[in-house]
Amino acid sequence: MSTRTFISRIAVGGICTAVALAASACGAGGPANTSGSAGTNTVNVLVEAGGHAELTGVAEQCKAETGVTANFVELPYDGMFNRLSSEFSSGNVSFDVAALDSVWLPSFKDAVQPIDELFTDEAKKDIFPALVKEANVDGHFIGMPAWTNAEIILYRKDLFEDAKNKADFQAKYGYALAAPTTWKQYQDISEFFTKDGMFGTDVKGAVETEWLAHVLQAGSPMVLDGDKVVIDNAAHKEALDFYVGLAKDAPSGAAQVDWAAAQNLFNQGKTAMTRFWAHAYRQIPKDAAVAGKVGAAPMIAGSAGVGGVPGPWYLTVPKATKNAEAAKKFVKCAYDYNSTGIESSLGLAARISAFEKYQDQPGYESFKPLIETLNGKATATRPATEKWQQIVDTVLIPMLQNAVAGGDSATLLADAKKQIEDLLK
Amino acid sequence: MRVAERMKHDAGTPARAAGAPSAAPAVVRPRKRRGVNREGLEAGRRSTRTLLWVLLAAAMVLYGFPFLYLLFTSFKTPIDTIAVPPTILPREWTLENYTNALGRSGVLASFINSVQTAIISTVLSLALAVPAAYGITRYKTLSGRIFIMAALVTRMVPPVAIGIPLASMMGTLGLSDTPIALSIAHTTISLPLSIWLMSSFFEAVPQDLEEAATVDGCSRLGALWRVVIPVVSGGIAVTAIFAFLASWNEFLFALLMTAIRSQTTPVVIANFQTQFGLDWGSMTALAAVYSIPVILLTLLLQRKIVAGMTLGAVKG
Repeated sequence: MSTRTFISRIAVGGICTAVALAASACGAGGPANTSGSAGTNTVNVLVEAGGHAELTGVAEQCKAETGVTANFVELPYDGMFNRLSSEFSSGNVSFDVAALDSVWLPSFKDAVQPIDELFTDEAKKDIFPALVKEANVDGHFIGMPAWTNAEIILYRKDLFEDAKNKADFQAKYGYALAAPTTWKQYQDISEFFTKDGMFGTDVKGAVETEWLAHVLQAGSPMVLDGDKVVIDNAAHKEALDFYVGLAKDAPSGAAQVDWAAAQNLFNQGKTAMTRFWAHAYRQIPKDAAVAGKVGAAPMIAGSAGVGGVPGPWYLTVPKATKNAEAAKKFVKCAYDYNSTGIESSLGLAARISAFEKYQDQPGYESFKPLIETLNGKATATRPATEKWQQIVDTVLIPMLQNAVAGGDSATLLADAKKQIEDLLK
Repeated sequence: MRVAERMKHDAGTPARAAGAPSAAPAVVRPRKRRGVNREGLEAGRRSTRTLLWVLLAAAMVLYGFPFLYLLFTSFKTPIDTIAVPPTILPREWTLENYTNALGRSGVLASFINSVQTAIISTVLSLALAVPAAYGITRYKTLSGRIFIMAALVTRMVPPVAIGIPLASMMGTLGLSDTPIALSIAHTTISLPLSIWLMSSFFEAVPQDLEEAATVDGCSRLGALWRVVIPVVSGGIAVTAIFAFLASWNEFLFALLMTAIRSQTTPVVIANFQTQFGLDWGSMTALAAVYSIPVILLTLLLQRKIVAGMTLGAVKG
C-alpha cells in the first residue's frame, strides 16, 4: 500500500468515526448525563482540579449510603471563575454542585441556593468559627466548607535542633532557638540563618494573604472595616514595614516571588523558614533536600494574637439546577464524610473533628498548628465584597511589589486607599 | 549544471573561455567579469552560506529549545523539575511522569475528544472555505470582496468576547458539552483564515485550465472537482493542517464549553496547575505526548505543505 493510499484511508476512517460520534452527539468522556435531569441520582460536581481528590472519597461513601453518584467536572483554577460566570449568567448550568473558592462566594451569592438545613447547631460547632461566618451571606448559609487551609510556619527542624546553631543563637540573641511565636523572633531567626548562601526566610511580593495575616495579627480588620477602607491605618503600616523588613534576609527578586517560587526555595533547602499553606507540609517530595527535616508551627502571634487568613472551598448548589435534592444529599455526604479528604493527596478537611482525628498521627504534624491558626483569636476571612479579587489583583499586589522594591509604605498605603475607594464606588 | 559548479568549471578553463587557441602557451589570468574576482565571489558565497547556517541554527535553537526543555522536564524527578537554578538535562531519568499523566482518569477520553473535535472542525472548515474561496476568486464581485474582508475582520474579534455567547447558544440548542458544539466554535476561529488561504491558492490556478476542462465537456463544478482541486491539493493540505492545529491547541472555548463528555486534552493539561501547586513533570509529560500526533501529521504531509507554500509564489 502506498503512503498516499495509507494516509487517505486513515483520513477517511478518522472522518467517518468522528462523524459517527458527532452524529450521536456523544463525547468520549463519560455518560450523557447533564444537569437538569430532575429526580436522577447522579450529580455533576464542578471542582477545581486540585480539589478533585478531596471529594473522591466522599463520592464513594455517598454512593454507598445514599445511592447518589457523582460525576466530576475538573477545571483549572484560572479558568473556573470565567466558566462559573458564564454558566450562572446564562441560567443554564452543566453542574449540580459547585466547589467555590471563598473569595468567589460574594460574587455568586445570588446564583446559589441556601442550604440552611445542613447547618445544624452540631455542624456549626464542628466548623471553624471564621468559616461559619463566611458561609453565611445575607442571613443564609450558601456554602458548606469542604476543605480549608491556612498559612502556618514551616521550618527546618534539623537546623533548629543543631547543637552549634542552638549555642550560637543563644549567644547572639539571648534566648533559645525554637520555632518563632512572635514577629521579633521571626526576624531574629531569619537574620541568624541568612549566611553561607542560605536565607532565613522568603518574602513574597506577588501574593497578598501573608501580609494580610500580619495585619490581622496587628489587630485590624483587613483592608475594609465594613464599608470603610482602612488600609492606611497604623496596623497595615506596621504589618507592611515588618513584611518588607524581612527582605534583607530573603532571596532577591521578592517582587516576583509567589507561592510556587517560595515552595520551591524551601523544598530545595534554600530557606530556613517559610510562612506557607499547611498542605505543603505533606507535599514535600520524598527526594527533596528537606524531606523528613521539616517542622511545623502555628502562624505568628502579633499584639492581637495568632492570626491567619483561611483558604476554604465551599460546596454550593446552584439555583438553576433541577436536581437540587440529590445535590444537597451530596453536600451533606461531604460534611458527614469530611475526614476522607485527609487521606487524599491534598490532605485537607474542613471539620475540626476531622483534623483532630489525625493530628497525633505520624505525617500529620502540620494539623495541630493548622487547627491553632484557624482557631486563632485574630484569624478572619477576607472581606465579603465581590470586588475583592479585583482589589487584590489591581491594588494590593502592585502595592506590595512596589513596597518590597523600596517604596515608601505610608505613601503606597495612602495611594492604595484611594484606588480601593474608587473601585468600590 | 548548477551555477556554483558552472562557475567552478569556468574558473578552471580560463583560456577557452577567453576564446584563445587551446595550444597557445599563455599566461593564465583569471578572467574578471564586471569587476568581480571569482574567488572573491565564491568566498563571498561561502561566508554568506556560513552566516545563513548560523542564523538558521540560532532560529532552530530559539524555536526548538522550549520544546526540548519541555521534553527533558518530562523525564525529570519531581524535585528536579523545580530545581533552583533550573537544570536542562535530568539528573536522573524517569518515566514516572508519563505513568502519572497517562494514568490519570479522563486522559484517554480527552485525547479521543481532541481528535474527534479537530477532525470535525477541519472538515467543516474545508467544506465551507473551499467553495467560498473558489466563488470569491472566480466571480470577483463586489460582494465577494466585502465578504472576504468581513471574514478577516472576524479574526480580530477576541475569542473571549464570543466564547460566553457561543456557550449559551450551544446550551439553548441542546449541544452543551458535545464535540460537535466545540467543533463549530473552533470552526469560527479557523474558517476566516482558511478562506483567505484557499483564495490565494485558487488565484494561482490559471483560468485556462478550467476553460479547457469545460471545452472537454466538464461542468463548472466538474472542472472544479476534477481539475482545480487536484492542482490545489497542496494548498488544501496546508489549510487542513492549519485548521487542525487551530482546533488541536485551542483552550478557551474548550474551557467554556466542555465538561464531562467532551473535555479536550489542553484543559486536562492545564488541570495539572492547581491552586495548591503545579505538577510540572506530569504536565510536561502529557504535553509531550499530545505533541506527537501533530508532529507525525506534519512529517507525513510535509511534501504537500511545502508544495502548498510555494503554490502561487511565482504567479504573475
